[in-house]
Amino acid sequence: MASVTLRRISKRYQEATVLREVSLDIADREFMILVGPSGCGKSTLLRMIAGLEEVTEGDILIDGKVVNHLAPRDREIAMVFQDYALYPHMTVEENMSFGLRLRGLAKAEIDRRVDEAAAVLQIKDLLKRTPRQLSGGQRQRVAIGRAIVRKPKAFLFDEPLSNLDAKLREEMRIEIAKLHQRLGATIIYVTHDQVEAMTLGSRMAVMNGGIIQQVGTPAEAFFRPANHFVAGFIGSPTMNFIDGAVAGGMFKSPDMGFKLPGGTRASGPVILGIRPEGVCVNKTDGSSLSEPVPAAIEVVELLGYKRNLYLKAGEKRLLATVDASFDGKPGDTVSMSLQLAGIHLFDQETKGRIG
Amino acid sequence: MISSLLQVLEFVAFLAAAVAILELYLHVHFSYFDHPWFVSATVAVAPVLAAVSGHSLSVGHLPSLVLAAAGIQLVSALVFRYVVRGKHSLPIMLLAPGFIGLGMLIAYPLAFEVYLALHDLKLTTIMAWSRTGHIPFVGFKHFTNVFTSSPLSSVTFGWLFGRTIWWTFINVFFHVTGGFILALLLNNCHRFRGLYRTFLVIPWAMPQVVAILALRGEFQSQYGFINIMLGRLGVAPVQWLTQHSLLTCTIINVWLGIPFMMVIILGGLQSISKHYYDAAAIDGASAWQQLRHITLPLLRPVLGPAVTLGAVWTFNNINVIYLVTGQAGGTEDADILVSALYKAAFTFYRYSYSAALAIVIFLILFIFSILWLKFSKGSESVYG
Amino acid sequence: MVETPQEVAAVLAAHHRRQAVQAVLIHAALIGACLICLYPLLRMISVSLRPGDRLISTDLALIPAGASASSYLRVFKETEFLLWLWNSLVITCVTSFIGVSLAATGGYAFSRFKFPGNKLGLTLLLGTQMIPAGMLLLPLFLMIMRLGLINTYLGMIVAYSVTSLPFSIWILKGYYDTIPRSLEEAALVDGTSRFGAFYRIVLPLSTPALSIAFLFNFTQAWNEYLVARVVLCDAQRYTWTLGLFELQGQYLTQWGMFAAGSFMVTVPVLLIFLYSSKWLISGLTLGGVKG
Repeated sequence: MASVTLRRISKRYQEATVLREVSLDIADREFMILVGPSGCGKSTLLRMIAGLEEVTEGDILIDGKVVNHLAPRDREIAMVFQDYALYPHMTVEENMSFGLRLRGLAKAEIDRRVDEAAAVLQIKDLLKRTPRQLSGGQRQRVAIGRAIVRKPKAFLFDEPLSNLDAKLREEMRIEIAKLHQRLGATIIYVTHDQVEAMTLGSRMAVMNGGIIQQVGTPAEAFFRPANHFVAGFIGSPTMNFIDGAVAGGMFKSPDMGFKLPGGTRASGPVILGIRPEGVCVNKTDGSSLSEPVPAAIEVVELLGYKRNLYLKAGEKRLLATVDASFDGKPGDTVSMSLQLAGIHLFDQETKGRIG
Repeated sequence: MISSLLQVLEFVAFLAAAVAILELYLHVHFSYFDHPWFVSATVAVAPVLAAVSGHSLSVGHLPSLVLAAAGIQLVSALVFRYVVRGKHSLPIMLLAPGFIGLGMLIAYPLAFEVYLALHDLKLTTIMAWSRTGHIPFVGFKHFTNVFTSSPLSSVTFGWLFGRTIWWTFINVFFHVTGGFILALLLNNCHRFRGLYRTFLVIPWAMPQVVAILALRGEFQSQYGFINIMLGRLGVAPVQWLTQHSLLTCTIINVWLGIPFMMVIILGGLQSISKHYYDAAAIDGASAWQQLRHITLPLLRPVLGPAVTLGAVWTFNNINVIYLVTGQAGGTEDADILVSALYKAAFTFYRYSYSAALAIVIFLILFIFSILWLKFSKGSESVYG
Repeated sequence: MVETPQEVAAVLAAHHRRQAVQAVLIHAALIGACLICLYPLLRMISVSLRPGDRLISTDLALIPAGASASSYLRVFKETEFLLWLWNSLVITCVTSFIGVSLAATGGYAFSRFKFPGNKLGLTLLLGTQMIPAGMLLLPLFLMIMRLGLINTYLGMIVAYSVTSLPFSIWILKGYYDTIPRSLEEAALVDGTSRFGAFYRIVLPLSTPALSIAFLFNFTQAWNEYLVARVVLCDAQRYTWTLGLFELQGQYLTQWGMFAAGSFMVTVPVLLIFLYSSKWLISGLTLGGVKG
């Protein structure tokens, strides 16, 4: 296993810049997630690490060695593709052993490794089949198996679960997490699904517009988003944003105004962010909540254990997630307040986090 | 038989070796272009190789061969070093053998044809040419001859040109109409459709030579099917092959060409969604209106390229006319430009003359295709 | 207006009758067209089965009176029919092999790589299809003559080898385009070179298209007449097309042998065509639609 380091990587196609000076350190045995909306450059970055795309500028290091000009086969990495990319004309066994055969390993060693991986992935009885005869989940396992037998320096996953249905995806997610614990491998995993990003990774890099917005643990990204984009991208349902201004420790917007907790450094125009769980309805607890404002309920959604309330306070629409036991109908007026501890402030100009 | 087979095997081995050498050459030039010794070393090696191979093949003019090799290699090495710089190595290496083949067997002959047209090669000069490689230069004489003297024995260029246009038009017209009718019938027929289709493509699928010769037999005045049937109806035998040869050729070619159009049009018909017809029927369109306003416009993208292809094939069709009228004593009443070209070269041995004729025909085709492209681009953008 | 149930039933019945009549007419027309298409083949069978003393006849029966296989025997005994077939086979196989190998690599370059001249090259390939065959024939013939290859297999192979190349490249390019690139990328990561990914993954997956391209090359060369007429002059070297042309030539007495030979050549070609037609057609239209 090995570390992977990206040093000020850029990628340009003719005029279009896809990646801009991306730097990232991925430690040995780390599970790093690259997450972002489609078109943010995350897949391109992964493919550059694999050697499938050329690097316009910057260096890629695997185990401290610059690999920019190495062909994919000389980088000792393995990759799992979105469409699995199993060779249709080979059996499962041949698929898994292909890389080993190319490297001229002894027959006995190949068989041992394939058996071992097949046992781990519970695909022993599929070895003689062809990819055509497999279900989506089975193909996924074979694709992972093909990567495992190689014992590569790092595993690259390119949205591996996006072609599976919801239930299988959940199963495979847990499977991959277990695999990481068992193999202790360096994994770089690209996804646009934030549930995968939050649950799988030891760290994640949130990307947008060819730039890494934040690198950190899932908890850091969730509880201390580095900027407006990360705050809006991570978390479901999405964070509420209120444009306003801070003056003398007071937040003021056209629809509400309240005193921020002591010691805030913010002043001037800001974007206030609050997650739906932080919006309270008909609660009064002076110290930890903002001053209540009246709000009308527009729509109520029951999620089972929770309820989503679509509120309108003045002209501002906000989403509140409350207990399922809450009793209210569209049209009711309630008193709405925000948990002060859950408030994030972002600069309107730079979109960066304040405090 | 064995020796000729050996010759073939030898040739295949020779080709494989040539391809291997070519690829090796490209590989060296793509991989080592940046080494300091690249230009000097390759320019030094090339004349040596040229001298060795020239000597072993006992080619004359060794010094000029060596000099040419060095010069060409110098240019090539500089191009690889400063222009190509190792880029696109794999696609070029993959394409090189095929394109060199196409160059030698299509581009070079075309250039050679221009050379021939400007010189005088005919039956009386060909022996001298094959010995010395020299033929007298005559300039544009043959080009004026094309328009002033007959390519065959009497028919003029103007007649041939007109007949070619007529032949192309009438054949394509019947191919499309016939193909369209059959495709509509097939599309509206649900039982045995596959079986009918199989039988209907037979004229296309049969070896053309067999089909044409067999049909020619049926036009034979005494024992051919047509005249036998006419005779039973009390009509006097018609001399199809000698007096109505163009009609005979046209009938045969129409028979040969309908299946292609039918298959293309049927594919187009089947790709039109039934919903359009349902919608039109609800709107009260009659069968004729549906054909006119749905089927035809939606077939255009399929029909356009098929008609273009069909017209080019018909314009260039030598097979039918030559096989029906090409034997000794055959008539020239059915000849079109390309068949006259073939006969001028290989029946009358007027090589340079037919080279000039070929170039004229090529220019005609070229102008037609430019016009056609312009015309069809303008109307196709609606469907783009 | 139709009002009562009886009237509705009458209208429906009329509708059904009209449909039935229409169906009968369609089938009648199609059967007629099929007969016209089959006719030469049927006549060939009929003439080939005629007994030797009744070759020239105005008889139109499919199986003639006193049918015999003598024409089939005579074509083998009295002509070089087998030799002609063998000549055709050698020439055709070698040219198809050369054509398909060149097209397999060329099509791949066009399908997968961006390089200057990619579009232009494909257009030029289509352009070559516009060149009249008769136009290239003369310079080719003279080249072959200067090389001393008149009346040899080699001359024929040289003349045929690239004629089907442009079309084959188009067919194969179209097929390669349908193979997902991720397969080659997976192979690259697994440890092949760029060419290795083509050779080990793409090529084996393309066997259907390769065989179609081979069949196309094969039938083109197999059925060719005009080039053979010019390059070959010795009956020992004739391809079957030349041989049959000679038989059909002047003497009506040889009709039986011509018909028998034609029938034997036609049947396998027909079967190959019917097997591959779906692919050929999609390839043929591809060129037109995309160009």
